[in-house]
Amino acid sequence: MTSENPDPFKRTDTPIYHVTLWPNRSLGRVGFRNTMLLVIVGTTIPMIPLFKAASSLWILLFGIVPVALLYLFFIRNYLDGRLTEEIRIYPDLIAVERREPKGKILRWHANPYWLRIHMHNTPIENYLTLEGNQRTIELGAFLSPEERLTLKADIEKVIHGLDINA
Amino acid sequence: MADAATHTHDEHARPGFFTRWFMSTNHKDIGILYLFFSATIGFVSVALTVYMRMELMNPGVQYMCAEGARFVADTAAECMPNGHLWNVMITYHGVLMMFFVVIPALFGGFGNYFMPLMIGAPDMAFPRMNNLSFWMYVAGSSLGVASLLSPGGNGQLGSGVGWVLYAPLSTNEGGYSMDLAIFAVHLSGASSILGAINMITTFLNMRAPGMTLHKTPLFAWSIVVTAFLILLSLPVLAGAITMLLTDRNFGTAFFDASAGGDPILYQHLLWFFGHPEVYMIIVPGFGIISHVISTFSKKPIFGYLPMVYAMIAIGVLGFVVWAHHMYAVGLSTTQQSYFMLATMVIAVPTGVKIFSWIATMWGGSIEFKTPMLFAFGFLFLFTIGGVTGIVLSQAAIDRAYHDTYYVVAHFHYVMSLGAVFCIFAGVYYWIGKMSGRQYPEWAGKLHFWTMFIGANITFFPQHFLGRQGMPRRYIDYPEQFAQWNFVSSIGAFITFASFIFFIGVVFYTLKWGKKVTDPAYWGEHADTLEWTLSNPPPEHTFETLPTPDMWDKSNH
Repeated sequence: MTSENPDPFKRTDTPIYHVTLWPNRSLGRVGFRNTMLLVIVGTTIPMIPLFKAASSLWILLFGIVPVALLYLFFIRNYLDGRLTEEIRIYPDLIAVERREPKGKILRWHANPYWLRIHMHNTPIENYLTLEGNQRTIELGAFLSPEERLTLKADIEKVIHGLDINA
Repeated sequence: MADAATHTHDEHARPGFFTRWFMSTNHKDIGILYLFFSATIGFVSVALTVYMRMELMNPGVQYMCAEGARFVADTAAECMPNGHLWNVMITYHGVLMMFFVVIPALFGGFGNYFMPLMIGAPDMAFPRMNNLSFWMYVAGSSLGVASLLSPGGNGQLGSGVGWVLYAPLSTNEGGYSMDLAIFAVHLSGASSILGAINMITTFLNMRAPGMTLHKTPLFAWSIVVTAFLILLSLPVLAGAITMLLTDRNFGTAFFDASAGGDPILYQHLLWFFGHPEVYMIIVPGFGIISHVISTFSKKPIFGYLPMVYAMIAIGVLGFVVWAHHMYAVGLSTTQQSYFMLATMVIAVPTGVKIFSWIATMWGGSIEFKTPMLFAFGFLFLFTIGGVTGIVLSQAAIDRAYHDTYYVVAHFHYVMSLGAVFCIFAGVYYWIGKMSGRQYPEWAGKLHFWTMFIGANITFFPQHFLGRQGMPRRYIDYPEQFAQWNFVSSIGAFITFASFIFFIGVVFYTLKWGKKVTDPAYWGEHADTLEWTLSNPPPEHTFETLPTPDMWDKSNH
């Protein structure tokens, strides 16, 4: 099967099941924008009196630096959370692609027919692993235990419904 | 692909003492460091007040003599008053308390320890920056203490300019003590700003799944409101004191009227920071008190949403009332009436909070454990301080009260009795959680009653002194003021004794206190996430994010 598809990650046909997992971040784009607006406005207003004397404009630095720091640290926090695991299931292939915060891409694929799905309870609750192609990988370690349970059920449902002759 | 790992998350060895406490990136350890270090600085700062109250106990100068500071009065020996020493005492008591004791204890200590736990985050968003904040705070405090001991004005040690560092007094103070004090405030400011960025990022971005802003515990809210106050107001202070520094050392004249500068500008900048500063001190206390009152009344907090929005409103209003500290500098009557009205408006959200706390207790099954006693003490005394605040907010009345002991009594009621009671409430509430050992209840109660009585005897008579016209910041007074000053000093000694006793209670508890194993040892109404953890919590918490059923028990 792999000889017919030299690169399983470049398949163009539509997978039966396709999901992307990412870690929880509780502030969305709009919230982030509003936070920055609030801080910029709040920092600017008290600085307005300084504009009348050019010699004191350097004091503005004290306003700019904290705002810039807040922005940069938020971006950094989002980057730290830029971790995704993309799962695609075709009738003859399951492929998982993990993109890590620093840009590293980790890949794994197997034949769903031989796939084994494990769930352990120690020490992490509902720790989910996939075994196949002589390798065992973890899945969704950053999710909550309940989410992993749902994920397992979803994958099992798809796999069990596969027609191996397709 | 991440290969499956069967490793446990705590398989690495426990760090050694040095690694754990000096290179810590764990928010719980850093919180404990903040608490202990701020307590140490607090002790220094309190010791200064004892010396001050000794001096004020009787008319005349008995201890702070130009011939040398004494600790035992000697009527036989000559004693010329040493005003500089007195000024140094009031200055460093103020600077240390405002910058290095209360905010680090409430915001740095409890905030670091419990805010991430309450929102179910594994740690702060930036653990190493957290470590940097703490050590910058230590460096700042050390500079503050160094400033106390280094050559200053009048050919003596230390600077005697008051914690507000008003120009031109501070620009003319001799020696380098003043410069060290400015650097101390710079460092503490940088530390607080980094801490605030860390708290804001953690609070906004790392709440547990499902925990929307309207479901976040009140203490976490109080910390983030404080963080925004810090982020928006401390840069102004940093700018102002940098201008002081250049005025002192590089020949600028920002605040020098003879060269076209404006000393009143410094006061505006200082108080634009200084008034939000007061709320930075008290708002985290509001958060602690909310949890304590709810826990010991065995009821969910009354009016959760109004409580949140009241804190936000207090934070916002805190930025638009600063000049009520400056009624006497020559503001126009229009300006004075604006600041007067705006100041009185703050009583509204504060009232919402006070009434919600009372309504939480209403019909509850109240249990008078030590944290609850401190919460009661806070509620009662903070309200008294708030009421004298309304009196002082009247520009016309302030003409009479400005710079009298009435003001001293007012702000010690809101801060010494308000914020400090919150710190003690928090310590007794969480010491079992943090250490795994519980304090002896009788000792906590004894501490509360001595502190409550002592602090009231100290500060209540100061209202009378203020009404009689005794000015602040003086080493001596006419003997008409002798009686209440004597009473006030007795109160200060009682309070100091209770503080020493408290230190004893803490060390007894840490070493020999009864072990507590029940995670929620205050009962089911202590229902935030820290109560799902063991005592003390494991080194790593919530690496697997908590689920709504763990924290949404009461549905608020």
